[in-house]
Amino acid sequence: MHSAAWRISLWATLAFACGTMLVFVFLHRFVADDIQRRSDAWLSGEVEVLGDVAERTPKDALYDRVVGEVAELAGKEVPNKDLSESSSNDSVFFLQTGSDGSLKLWVGAGSGAPNLKAIQASRIVPDQPTDLNVQGFPVPFRVASDRIDDGSYIYLGLSERDELRVLRNLRLRFFLLWLLLVLLGFGIVFFTTRRMLSHVRGITEAASRIGHSDLSARVPTTERSDEVGNLALTLNRMLDRIENSMHQLHTITDSLAHDLRSPLTAIRGKLEMSLSTGSHGDQAEPIVSVIEELDRLTDFLNKSLDVAEAKADALRLNRSELDLDELLRIMIDLYEPSMSEKGLRIGLQSSGPRRVEADAALLHRMIANLFDNELKHLPAARTVSLKLTVEDDCASLIVEDDGPGFDPEVLPHLFERRVKGKDSNGHGLGLAFVDAVARAHGGAVAAGNRESGGARLVITLPLHD
Amino acid sequence: MRLLLVEDEPDIQSFLQSSLKEAGYEVAAAIDGKTAEQLAVDGKFDILIVDLGLPDVDGITLILKLRQMGVSAPVLILSARRSVDDRVRGLEQGGDDYLTKPFALAELLARLRNLLKRNSPAGSDTTKLHVHDLELDLLRREATRSGQVLQLTSQEFVLLEYLCRNAGRVVTRSMILDKVWGMRIEPETNVVDVHIYRLRGKVDGKGQQPLIRTLRGVGYVLKDR
Repeated sequence: MHSAAWRISLWATLAFACGTMLVFVFLHRFVADDIQRRSDAWLSGEVEVLGDVAERTPKDALYDRVVGEVAELAGKEVPNKDLSESSSNDSVFFLQTGSDGSLKLWVGAGSGAPNLKAIQASRIVPDQPTDLNVQGFPVPFRVASDRIDDGSYIYLGLSERDELRVLRNLRLRFFLLWLLLVLLGFGIVFFTTRRMLSHVRGITEAASRIGHSDLSARVPTTERSDEVGNLALTLNRMLDRIENSMHQLHTITDSLAHDLRSPLTAIRGKLEMSLSTGSHGDQAEPIVSVIEELDRLTDFLNKSLDVAEAKADALRLNRSELDLDELLRIMIDLYEPSMSEKGLRIGLQSSGPRRVEADAALLHRMIANLFDNELKHLPAARTVSLKLTVEDDCASLIVEDDGPGFDPEVLPHLFERRVKGKDSNGHGLGLAFVDAVARAHGGAVAAGNRESGGARLVITLPLHD
Repeated sequence: MRLLLVEDEPDIQSFLQSSLKEAGYEVAAAIDGKTAEQLAVDGKFDILIVDLGLPDVDGITLILKLRQMGVSAPVLILSARRSVDDRVRGLEQGGDDYLTKPFALAELLARLRNLLKRNSPAGSDTTKLHVHDLELDLLRREATRSGQVLQLTSQEFVLLEYLCRNAGRVVTRSMILDKVWGMRIEPETNVVDVHIYRLRGKVDGKGQQPLIRTLRGVGYVLKDR
């Protein structure tokens, strides 16, 4: 009901229906006027003829019969007449009044008294056909009159029934046709827009899939070169370029990693060998410390490259379905002894398995990062509490402690590289890495201080459906 | 032990060759995939070290090719890349192992010994492990030392089992994290040490000969005699 196809076709149909209706109203008025004009012309002509006949016919015993028959004959040539109901002619009447206004001659259905009464009630001007409502007849008459020399008036009335019937037929047929057209139009518009929009939806779905995981996939294209086809082509060209630059970035980080790691490996190996030959005991200590420095450098290199890749949304994920609850329990199991050694407590509140599709190695490193941070910065006798909940389609992990919290100065820049607290001896990549991993999985991290004191981190990851 | 080393960086190759020889391996070295294939055809090797970034062929492709040629020896993969793709993971599940550069020599040697031992069929499906006066009942998940039952948590038991299975050989911290906890992380804190420390407190009681020994800068070893 809320689809764009539905709305578009509804509005288009509404506009079409109103337009055609307006056209018909004009057409109807034109036809009605024309029919009336024809009836009026006939009436005027006939009443003139009848007036002539009435004038010329001698006023004898046969007068009534002669004029009456002429009037009856005229009544049979009524325009727009429905031929099927010709048995009793109630669509025409002829009436002559005497100079005193009494009914002198009557040809037509009924007694003629109500007609006379209606004529007397309304003022009818000669040569000007007028509408006349007569009691006992559901449809008004169109009446033309003429004055004869002897001071009497003749009236010729034509029922508007036939005229109205023609118009009613016209309206009925138009309405049926109009309904058919509107429904057909709605159907056509609805199905074409829906078809077109289903292409758009296909593109959207494919694009969102690509955004989440596979950059080598492409949105579906159509053979036609309309706007939607062009949209798909443009998107695909854009994806080509993104994939290309992503590929370049990977090549750069890979070769950087390779070019740095190879000499590091060689240096480390040679140092270790010189240690093991062990001929120079007094030099052992500096060599060990150089090796330790190298390891720190390696660690920094690894994390920098990870964060750099992640910031560019280029972390290579090896996704598999895993249970966040289980993963956390194993990590807690690993860290718990170290924590209790420092006098820290750690606890997890969780209501059961939470399946996510994620890179296990990256999540391990992310959680290890958080726990290492707590171990390094939290004073003794404090508590780290983890809470795993579900909100909308996301698992959210809340990590809280009751320590000193984040330095307020650092707080706004927490997820940037090289940002660290005053007393931190790390390299300031920890939280940037946490943020990067969460974002690479389509999640997010929010950090802040609790009102009651202590740090609070909320990591959200999309649940596996 | 015959070892085939496939590594194109001359610096790394030279120090690996000499330290591996020192560790008692008979080393044949190749600098690319083609040479490695020829060497593998000519001689039988007990273990292989293959670098992923070779000049002529991708390391994984080489390993799969060697496997097709009938080389069944375990492979230690060296990689400059940290994120491991599915193919490496597949090989790892097939019994091979991988190590990210740069690595500690001790780590490399420990993993090599681990791979060689894993490849030998003996003792893989016994239900009891004996080291010194330590006995592990794998079915009942119970450890005893000199007849005394040790009160171990299930995680401690798994850790001790891993040490027992590698008794007499050095296991590094990252090997323990990998095999006992199933994760490849590099903690900045001493998480593994605390676990070992606790385990040692339970295994090596007062008046008993200490079994779990720390090798500084390398890892741990469970003495087997």
